[in-house]
Amino acid sequence: MNTRTGNTNFMHQLAAFLKENGTLVALVILAVIFAFMDDAFFTPRNITNLARQTTIIGIISVGMTLVIIINGIDLSVGSIVGLAAIMVTLLMQSGMNVWLAILVTLLVAGVFIGLWNGFWIAHYNIPPFIITLGMMTIARGLALTLSNGSSVPVTDPLFPKLGGSYISPAISGIIIVAALVLFFFTLYRGIQQRKKYNITIRVQKIVASTIITAAGLGLAFWVFTDYRGIPYPVAIFTVIAAAGIFLLNNTMLGRRIYAMGGNEEAARLSGIRVYRVKLIVYSIITTLSALSGILLASRLNGASPNLGNMFELDAISAVIIGGTSFSGGVGTISGTVIGAFIIGILNNGMSLLGVPTFYQLIIKGLIIILAVWFDVLSKRKSA
Amino acid sequence: MGEVVLEMKNIVKDFPGVRALDDVNFEARAGEVLALVGENGAGKSTLMKVLSGVWPYPTYEGDIYIKGKLCRFRNTREAEAAKVAIIYQELNLIPGLTVAENIFLDRQFCSVVGIVNWGKVFSEAQSLLNQLGIKGVKPTDKVGELTVGKQQMVEIAKALSKSAEILVFDEPTSALTDKEVDALFATIRQLKEKGVCMTYISHKMDELQLIADRVAVLRDGKTIGEVTPMNEITMDEIINRMVGRDIKDMFPKMEGKRGEKVLEVAELHLKHPTIPGKKLLNKVSFAAHKGEILGISGLMGSGRSELVSSIFGAYRSGVSGEIRLHGKKLKIKRPKDAIDNGIALVTEDRKALGLVLGQSVLNNMTIGSLETVAQQWGIINKAKERNLAWDYISKLNIKTPGLDVAVDTLSGGNQQKVIVAKWLNTSPKVLFLDEPTRGIDIGAKVEIYNLLNKLVDEGVTVIMISSELPEIMGMCHRILVMCEGEIAAELDEREATKELIMEYGTGSKKKGE
Repeated sequence: MNTRTGNTNFMHQLAAFLKENGTLVALVILAVIFAFMDDAFFTPRNITNLARQTTIIGIISVGMTLVIIINGIDLSVGSIVGLAAIMVTLLMQSGMNVWLAILVTLLVAGVFIGLWNGFWIAHYNIPPFIITLGMMTIARGLALTLSNGSSVPVTDPLFPKLGGSYISPAISGIIIVAALVLFFFTLYRGIQQRKKYNITIRVQKIVASTIITAAGLGLAFWVFTDYRGIPYPVAIFTVIAAAGIFLLNNTMLGRRIYAMGGNEEAARLSGIRVYRVKLIVYSIITTLSALSGILLASRLNGASPNLGNMFELDAISAVIIGGTSFSGGVGTISGTVIGAFIIGILNNGMSLLGVPTFYQLIIKGLIIILAVWFDVLSKRKSA
Repeated sequence: MGEVVLEMKNIVKDFPGVRALDDVNFEARAGEVLALVGENGAGKSTLMKVLSGVWPYPTYEGDIYIKGKLCRFRNTREAEAAKVAIIYQELNLIPGLTVAENIFLDRQFCSVVGIVNWGKVFSEAQSLLNQLGIKGVKPTDKVGELTVGKQQMVEIAKALSKSAEILVFDEPTSALTDKEVDALFATIRQLKEKGVCMTYISHKMDELQLIADRVAVLRDGKTIGEVTPMNEITMDEIINRMVGRDIKDMFPKMEGKRGEKVLEVAELHLKHPTIPGKKLLNKVSFAAHKGEILGISGLMGSGRSELVSSIFGAYRSGVSGEIRLHGKKLKIKRPKDAIDNGIALVTEDRKALGLVLGQSVLNNMTIGSLETVAQQWGIINKAKERNLAWDYISKLNIKTPGLDVAVDTLSGGNQQKVIVAKWLNTSPKVLFLDEPTRGIDIGAKVEIYNLLNKLVDEGVTVIMISSELPEIMGMCHRILVMCEGEIAAELDEREATKELIMEYGTGSKKKGE
């Protein structure tokens, strides 16, 4: 009798865990499948590459999460990747200092275009779909015009290091261990605070997040100390994702973003300056896209005006697979990161297995539909 | 007067916690206009929703007979098939389509292969408009480009094209100009001759005298008295039936001690967002003081909510006038400006305007005043925030399983308290409450009343809108009665009677009389 109630209790907990971490489970299952199908998949070398490939879309997806939470969309991100890549390489070609070129690119291709998008969307209340669709064409056109339609090589010896270098394995290991310590410290502090304010502590949730974090960091430790260390772009992506998570959970702006997505009119009547928040969010996403473009140009050691084509679709897919609701107000960046890795694993794994690109597109599309279907289904059940 | 066409017998309709209709009985005849009157929330619209199948059988109790036949509509289509048509306050037309397309929306004239016979659609629509004597509307006009009055005519034509025999008008004139009202009444008289049975829901006493044959009064979901011919009853008697209930000791009214003048509003105007020349607020001036509760009464659509929303900066454009707080002139362009100056507004529509549904009690409580729980760089001190929220939960006696549950899981009264907490945390000097007790149970109402008294005691200037007369009279020390965008009367608590408020509110007594 006892064992049976114990069993059902365990099953319940497992079901709850699966429901809350469905995308993570899907990620693990995908990884296991690919690992069995190809020996080259689960190697430090391949996983390092996979992580680095994922960061380009991942960085954009962090911004896309914010945009979709406020009920918006940004279709111009892919074109901005191309524009930023062309811009930064051209600026360096003209003799500008690397860091200055990066800064100017971030300001012009990123912040300025974001403000432009946000202005049209917030001031005239035009659907973001249309404004950013227009910007998608404009930015691509600008990239083609500036580069005269041809590729731009990188002349500076320092620039390629940004996207192509690694933090040495030893330092990588130290960083990862430090991250684990930091995790346990915040966990401890969280529990202390919850005790202090008499808030119920959900043991399962703490255990689950501990297991997930420990496993993730353990994997990272193995991968990055065994091969060449943490790639710079991965480090940058990690910092951006962490900053995004902090922004949404711990700042006034984060609260306002969620409130606006949930009920824009109520948010406005609560004194939130909807206009300003929209400007900020749309600037964040274009700036992150520009950063992505710079990293991509650095890794490829050159820029083509067609870089970033269709990136908007991968970024939106990552956000949706990660559980952010298309109707606004709900979503997390940690979910998006998992979503980005699911797309990354699919791309990487299928390429390893030699699945033709055409089929890859079909499979990716089906998986996106599947993810949304699952989301709708689980919401209907809980309603 | 013709035979009895519609009979509703012993209708009972319950909503969670509220009995909206309690044993309602009435009957309507062919070729007459039966006026259905009552205060806001008396159950008129609910009754009509039962009739039209919006609330299907068996979500209500009682019987509906149409021409002597028992009808139990399970959806609106069945009601339509029984020739019942309702013309709602919010019109059900598609603005982008033409008049003719709207009239024949659900049955285009098609050939076998599904090709629309446009010639027939337009000519049928034209002949229908001619029959009704509707002028100035062409079948090819886009509905969205017509005035509201003409749209209403289209809606009537649509109902009659389905040969409706029972026609219900739900406050049809609230958005119409005088001219349009005349045109509507001419059409109604024509329909009367044709033997259509019409029920006319309205608050406006002067209109009833012009158009109605008999009157039925609803109060608190009950029919009061018999259905009475209009020539056998006076306006006073109708108003008496509408409001005639005693104020029980539900209202913990405190003694008003009028203190200094806090808020002054002078010559406030608000333009109608779409109809040029029409004003939603016209020359509104008033003052609110410390130490008393100011009430704003008036019928729905009289401009009460528009008044407080204008002061709060909720409109993006169209507001002009002067607002002074403690003698200092304010420039309020957006809600944030109002909040920064110490003005708060508990909005009427809790779900659409007050709360972010789906998000936590905690987030909803602090969203208006994040500055109070933030450290530098806008980082929220979560411990401080939770502490603060718990304080409000115990102070306002909010019943919630925790801070992190979605706010929609709470009862209406507790949701309202969450909103009040949100505004209290902005430390308001002036607190507007628009229908603060709508849809919440009596216990919670009394708690809110007590809270308002306490706030007045603490020096907050409280201004309350309510369409419930007992509430206004039971709580307020001064009452502004609004009618058609103007303040028709300012009544002291000693002179205010329900009848007087109703007379000013319905326009049967004009300003200064």
